[in-house]
Amino acid sequence: MPSKFGLQVRHDPITEIDGVPVTSLLSRFGSPLFIYSEKTIRHTFREAFRAFSSRYPNVLFSWSYKTNYLNAICKVFHQEGSWAEVVSGFEYKKALANGVKGDQIIFNGPDKSKADLQLAVKNGSLIHIDHFDELYELIEVAKESNAKPNVAIRINMDAGIYPAWDRFGFNYENGEAWDALNRIMHCENLELAGLHTHIGTYIMSTEPYRIAATKLAELAIGLERKYHHHIRYIDMGGGFASKNTLKGGYYPGSDTTPSFEDYAEAIVSALMKADFHPDHQPLLILETGRALIDDAGYLAGTVIATKRLADGQRASILDAGVNLLFTSFWYDHDIRPAVPVSDQTEETAIFGPLCMNIDVIRKSTVFPLLKKGDPFVIRRVGAYNNTQWLQFITLRPNVVLIDKGSQVHVIRSEETLETLNDLENTPEHLRVH
Amino acid sequence: MLQKYEWFWKGFLNSYSQIFFSDNKGFAAILIPVTFIDLFAGLFGMLSVLFTNSAARLIGYDPMKIRNGYYGFNSLLVGLGLGIYYEPGIVLLILLAIAAILTLFISVTLEGVIGKYYLPHLSLPFVFALWMLMLSSREFYALTLNERGIYTLNDLYIIGGHSLVVLYEWWNQLDIPSVFRTYFLSLGAILFQFSVLSGMLIALGLLIYSRIAFTLSFLGFFAAWCFYNIIGADLTEVGYSYVGFNYILTAIAIGGFFIIPNVWSYFWVLLVVPMVSIVTISLGSILNVFQLPVYALPFNMVVLIFLYVLKFRISNRSGLHTLFVQRNSPERNLYSWLNYRERFTGRAETPVRLPFLGEWIVRQGHNGPYTHKNDWRHAWDFEMVDENGKTYRKKGDFPEDYYCFNKPVTAPADGIVEEIIDDIEDNIIGKRNLGHNWGNTVIIKHSDDFYSKLSHLKKHSVKVRRGDRIRHGDPLGLCGNSGNSPYPHLHFQLQSTPYVGSKTRFHPVSNYYCNRDGSRKLVETGIPEKDDLVSNIQANPSLKKSFQLVPGRIMEFEVEGTAKSHARWEVKIDNYMNQYVECAETGSKAYFESGPAMVHFVHFEGDRTSLLYYYYMAAYKTTFGFESGLQLTDSFPLNLVFNPNKMFLQDLAAPFYRYLEAAYELNYPKRNKHIPPVELELDGTIQKKVWTRVSEKWKFQFKLDGKGLREFHFNGRDVQIKAKCV
Repeated sequence: MPSKFGLQVRHDPITEIDGVPVTSLLSRFGSPLFIYSEKTIRHTFREAFRAFSSRYPNVLFSWSYKTNYLNAICKVFHQEGSWAEVVSGFEYKKALANGVKGDQIIFNGPDKSKADLQLAVKNGSLIHIDHFDELYELIEVAKESNAKPNVAIRINMDAGIYPAWDRFGFNYENGEAWDALNRIMHCENLELAGLHTHIGTYIMSTEPYRIAATKLAELAIGLERKYHHHIRYIDMGGGFASKNTLKGGYYPGSDTTPSFEDYAEAIVSALMKADFHPDHQPLLILETGRALIDDAGYLAGTVIATKRLADGQRASILDAGVNLLFTSFWYDHDIRPAVPVSDQTEETAIFGPLCMNIDVIRKSTVFPLLKKGDPFVIRRVGAYNNTQWLQFITLRPNVVLIDKGSQVHVIRSEETLETLNDLENTPEHLRVH
Repeated sequence: MLQKYEWFWKGFLNSYSQIFFSDNKGFAAILIPVTFIDLFAGLFGMLSVLFTNSAARLIGYDPMKIRNGYYGFNSLLVGLGLGIYYEPGIVLLILLAIAAILTLFISVTLEGVIGKYYLPHLSLPFVFALWMLMLSSREFYALTLNERGIYTLNDLYIIGGHSLVVLYEWWNQLDIPSVFRTYFLSLGAILFQFSVLSGMLIALGLLIYSRIAFTLSFLGFFAAWCFYNIIGADLTEVGYSYVGFNYILTAIAIGGFFIIPNVWSYFWVLLVVPMVSIVTISLGSILNVFQLPVYALPFNMVVLIFLYVLKFRISNRSGLHTLFVQRNSPERNLYSWLNYRERFTGRAETPVRLPFLGEWIVRQGHNGPYTHKNDWRHAWDFEMVDENGKTYRKKGDFPEDYYCFNKPVTAPADGIVEEIIDDIEDNIIGKRNLGHNWGNTVIIKHSDDFYSKLSHLKKHSVKVRRGDRIRHGDPLGLCGNSGNSPYPHLHFQLQSTPYVGSKTRFHPVSNYYCNRDGSRKLVETGIPEKDDLVSNIQANPSLKKSFQLVPGRIMEFEVEGTAKSHARWEVKIDNYMNQYVECAETGSKAYFESGPAMVHFVHFEGDRTSLLYYYYMAAYKTTFGFESGLQLTDSFPLNLVFNPNKMFLQDLAAPFYRYLEAAYELNYPKRNKHIPPVELELDGTIQKKVWTRVSEKWKFQFKLDGKGLREFHFNGRDVQIKAKCV
């Protein structure tokens, strides 16, 4: 806890990850470098699973592909028993290619083409309907293919958080959700299997989950009363915060983020209080992404240069910038030296390598005095960065996975000029200049 | 129709075979003609059975018992006796009817008097009834003694002409050693037939009925013969031949019928038969005064005494196992007992489940090193761990850091809340509250002398109240850190008394998964041991709907590959609380036992070509819990899988050694978790093995979904069955 003088700033170096020295990783695989710890992924997953399964009899996790769809990462989760949660035709096919069975893919999101829906219906995937236009199209597809797909609707609601995400799904309070449910229940071609919500992202409080779970359970019980129809699962989506510190956060995220236990307690206690018959207690599905993977990812790199700014502030230029670290727009990332350095620190601006003004990782942070060539590690970068990274000015680097036996595997190779040029075509008349 | 009058025709046949404790119709088919070697004796015997069974039915006794011949066989013997001793006629017929009913009354009375000691009435009613008649008939001047006995040949001549007389004489003059001759005569004497031919036919019937009974009949007889030789008497003397069957029946009764046949039961036959000899000789000299034969009294007395005496044992060191279910043949008793012992040893009467959700670790088991000692040794301490074996997050400085803290604690079985304590503070980590050793506690009463106790709960977390009726799995409170608990854990024990400090009681846990070395195994009943990772079996709705058998449930199939194209089954429960599935078409029954998350079939009787028989074998052991790639294995009672007519050698050796084996295997598919309910395909095999080599293999498959069982396939060398649930 901070005193009135603020927090003591410590910069314990991160010299190794799962027993592998960071410097050796950089020399073997180049700088910058994304590093994932399989041990941490599995540990985090099991902790989350345990938090729910020790409170609720039937729990399932579904890996959120958009959070990190590197195949190796997805497969670790699939090995742990996770399904796939996808939000586009591309992600859907990626999951299939990863060997996920069609009926173990949850298809979310507002953008599903007719072809996507046809494929999902054919494979028996769970389709979570986002809007009425999709609902109508799906009815059409189901009729055409003479199938009865398992569907759920996504429901948005006032769970006491700002902003309420009302752009996805059907609203609970204004009755739109019931409109959609009635429409589905009267449709012979759709099987209403579940209810889905995703109340937002980086929710720092557990209460909204309790409210959301209560409202979904109310809908489910309402369906039992009205149609004698038993909902088979309740999908609480994701949105659990990781331990990163949001920009503007006063306390560090590691102190303020609720644990899986806290989220689980809120959700499960609401579901257990609902009037479900024990034989029809729905399966609880969770699509949490960020909280499961953030801790397992590291971005290592090298200091390119140090300089003083016009006002005398110290600045360090790193070889990894916002092109690789999209999340630096949201987080005050925790940057550590990868070798022991002096305890002396100074307010420092940390910039990326791009020749663009926006490439700022930390505007100002108390940082030890690193010099050119010193290695560094940025913690908790596993979520969203490897899906939202930009091929902008520089090429994307290697991504490695350290397995349980501390063996290092390249899971995505660095891009080369050919990677990009292979996709391009120059018209004949432009070949010579 | 046939089933409705089962008590009549089956009761008739069984009254014959029941003399040898059998319900074998083939045996009856031999015994009936044997009684007719003396035409009138046979006729009166038969009438006597019909009188008795009809009277019993009219008066309103249990049709099941009439069907099994329990009442008829004593009257049969009385009828045979009367038919042999007296001239046939109206007077004898009247007397027979009265005697038959008197015998029935004596049977029922004895059933009440010694039945409460769980002892059978054997042939005591016959002995008593025939004595009464023998004594009283001396005054019945209208009756004339039969002289046919002297002129058997005349009778035979009338029935079958010269050739039958020649045949009869040839048999009786056969040159066989006198001891064997006496053996056959003794067997014949059971039916009042004093001829080698009758004895041989009965021996043949005995062999058809049971190889073990046949072996024992020899063993008993020769044990007596040896004993007679030792004491200087001669068993082959005519007078003794009339009583020789006492040894034979004794040997069958204690060597294999009322006691599971094994080397010890055979050994005891050798000891008990001489006792029968002594009783026979001594009773003979008393009864001689009244000019009464001993009949089967020695056998009855000694067997009843022996069975009674065995009941007072407090431990079984004798190797003698008395029966719990009588299957009416030494072979069936043996195979079913061996199988039951193998499958259900250590099984609990009241199934108790683990009192939590998810997977927990046993930190301290029975006879633990810390507190589970002496009177409190049968207890468990549970905690939760991560994959590194740690029980807490962060540094573990606060109860909240511990994985198990705040987790729901659930009721291990149905019951009533007996006692709660809910206001003791949770300790800070490392401190114990020895003033309130057990901390916050819930005690549940499951029966008058069976309670469970859950301790160290979190303060003010107990959700139930004293007197609440709860079902297993209901949440009781939360795991905490109160009482003698330096860090959060759950203490679980079973006890016979309702107090917070009661001694523990040894009792296993039923139907759970145990992960001891990285793989989850299903435990039917067991004692979780230190460091085991254990979790309850969670019922999968599709599996539960398919395999759960609740009385009243009806299942119907359209079948290809059996004689009948339709099968209709109903789950029933009988007066003895045995649960079974009954096939409406064939009357076949498959008995089963239900656990909290499992079903075991235990016995089958009836038509072995019916669909129910194949289902009995295929669904022999099932669990409602789905675990990817789970394999269940088990073994069958030999006689229910092998053809009983083709086990001759195995039957002979069975009390000592079994070289046949029938192995069951059921495989749950490998797949990820799915939203319930799911479609599943389970397949399995049944392997018949001879000296551990597979001699025949059957395969089966279940297809099921959210509505329950859809299809059942069974494939073997001669069977190709496809059954669809309708």
